[in-house]
Amino acid sequence: MWKYSEQLMDHFMNPRNVGVIENPDGHADVGSPVCGDAMTLDITVDDSDRIGEIKFRTFGCAGAIASASALTEMAKGLTLDEALAIKNKQIADFLGGMPEEKYHCSVMGHEALHAAIGDYRRRTGEVREAAASVSAATGDSSLRLVSAKPGSATFSTELEDPGLKERISLAMSTTLGRAVDITLERR
Amino acid sequence: MKAYLDNNATTPVAPEVLEAMLPFLEESYGNPSSFHTFGSSVMPAVEKARESVARLIGASDPSTVFFTSGGTESDNWALRGSVLLDPSRKTVVTSAVEHPAVLETARVMEREGHPLRIAEVDGDGVIRMDSVSSLLDSSVAVLSVMAANNETGVLMPLPELSAAAKACGAVFHTDAVQAVGKVEIAVDRDGIDLLSLSAHKLHGPKGVGAMFIRSGLALPPLIVGGHQEKGRRSGTYNVPGIAGLGRAAELALEGMSGESRRLIALRVMLEKGILETCPGAEIVAAGAPRLPNTVTMLFRGVESEAILTLIDLQGISVSSGSACSTGSKDPSHVLMAMNVDRVCANSAIRFSLGRFNTEAEILYVLEELPKVIARLRKISPYT
Repeated sequence: MWKYSEQLMDHFMNPRNVGVIENPDGHADVGSPVCGDAMTLDITVDDSDRIGEIKFRTFGCAGAIASASALTEMAKGLTLDEALAIKNKQIADFLGGMPEEKYHCSVMGHEALHAAIGDYRRRTGEVREAAASVSAATGDSSLRLVSAKPGSATFSTELEDPGLKERISLAMSTTLGRAVDITLERR
Repeated sequence: MKAYLDNNATTPVAPEVLEAMLPFLEESYGNPSSFHTFGSSVMPAVEKARESVARLIGASDPSTVFFTSGGTESDNWALRGSVLLDPSRKTVVTSAVEHPAVLETARVMEREGHPLRIAEVDGDGVIRMDSVSSLLDSSVAVLSVMAANNETGVLMPLPELSAAAKACGAVFHTDAVQAVGKVEIAVDRDGIDLLSLSAHKLHGPKGVGAMFIRSGLALPPLIVGGHQEKGRRSGTYNVPGIAGLGRAAELALEGMSGESRRLIALRVMLEKGILETCPGAEIVAAGAPRLPNTVTMLFRGVESEAILTLIDLQGISVSSGSACSTGSKDPSHVLMAMNVDRVCANSAIRFSLGRFNTEAEILYVLEELPKVIARLRKISPYT
């Protein structure tokens, strides 16, 4: 048996934030082909760019499960940049230390978080890009993008046009190849 | 409640064995090589143990048995000695699923200039005779294949292997550490040249074992510096250990047929119970002949060290061939050689029973294990 700390055993026995999020803002599916370990991580991101919900599933040893649980606890509520700055050493410290041989087990959680945030940013970028051409497609030159997420976009307009929201939806889904929720605000 | 189901790692010393050892740790502490009566009067105990070991492995001539410090030493001796017998034969042939005592020794020897050839196993972990035959030629010094695999319990076809080695003029060695005392071994009948065994796998003490060397085979010593064992294995006799090994060999031989039936019944009970209560569980090498006491099972989607850690808390001792429990990143080389995929290989748990296991322990495992598996499955991304 490894010498595991009480905190690590607690996170292994009672892992926090286990599961999946329906329609997450960011999703990661990572694995270590060497170890055979695997992990999924889902996040939601709120309007201030902070991690809201976070859920994981792990196929791995006690160290891998506990590190993933600890990481989700540490990342919750942080801005994406703050979450990306979490170091493996901090995860180990959070768990009251970890046998050196088990350090590689904590790497996967870290990788998953980076991948989930990367997924969020990439898909948000796609929405922003699609939004850039919406003004021309809808013929509303006053249309501005207020905020974007992988699954939604908020626009503002100066026009009073009851069919505009539907035209934006159509233009966005045509460009993106998937549907996003559209919110339209009057300026 | 506790359950020790890791008898392939080591076994508890039988009370009769301890009793046989004690005199040599107490009043009869003499050195059997001494001239004086006090010491030399201990030698008959060593010779009696030699006879018991010879009987257990089917050797008609007890002088073919040499005491060593255990299986690892015997394996090292077999390989290192064999390549010195004939200068034109330098190559070592072994299987992909050997214990590291053989495989690592062969790899070190390879770096020292002894070519190494590794025979493949089939999907059940049984050595492929066509693979062996294709590797044997007049440059081969020794063919070394285990009698039973420590992880899967799979039994290897010793008569065919020894015949194949003989046909090409090579020495046949078998690491029988897991097989001796559990299944019948017949070195004379099966034409085995060298055989390694260890006391602590058959309810004897740790740190003592033996090597069978076929009569007439002038295997050079590995350990020199004394005259013990006719100069072929130096070092003061480990008399308590040897006496213990001898007694353990007697007990194993006396009880073998009944014990073997009892262990098979317990093992089948365990296997069936696990298959019924743990969805996705699978027996490794289900189609091959196996030791009565050993089964490795795969728990697809659940990692083995996580299982070990949780069921250890319930007092259940089992083992995994995997990766993470030893700090290595590599899955079991045995399961890899059998083409088990990595994720499955990292979900393997080995259960190995022994003489002191009871039905109550099996029932206890069947009560606790499914809870552990279900709990970990909830966390797993593999559904």
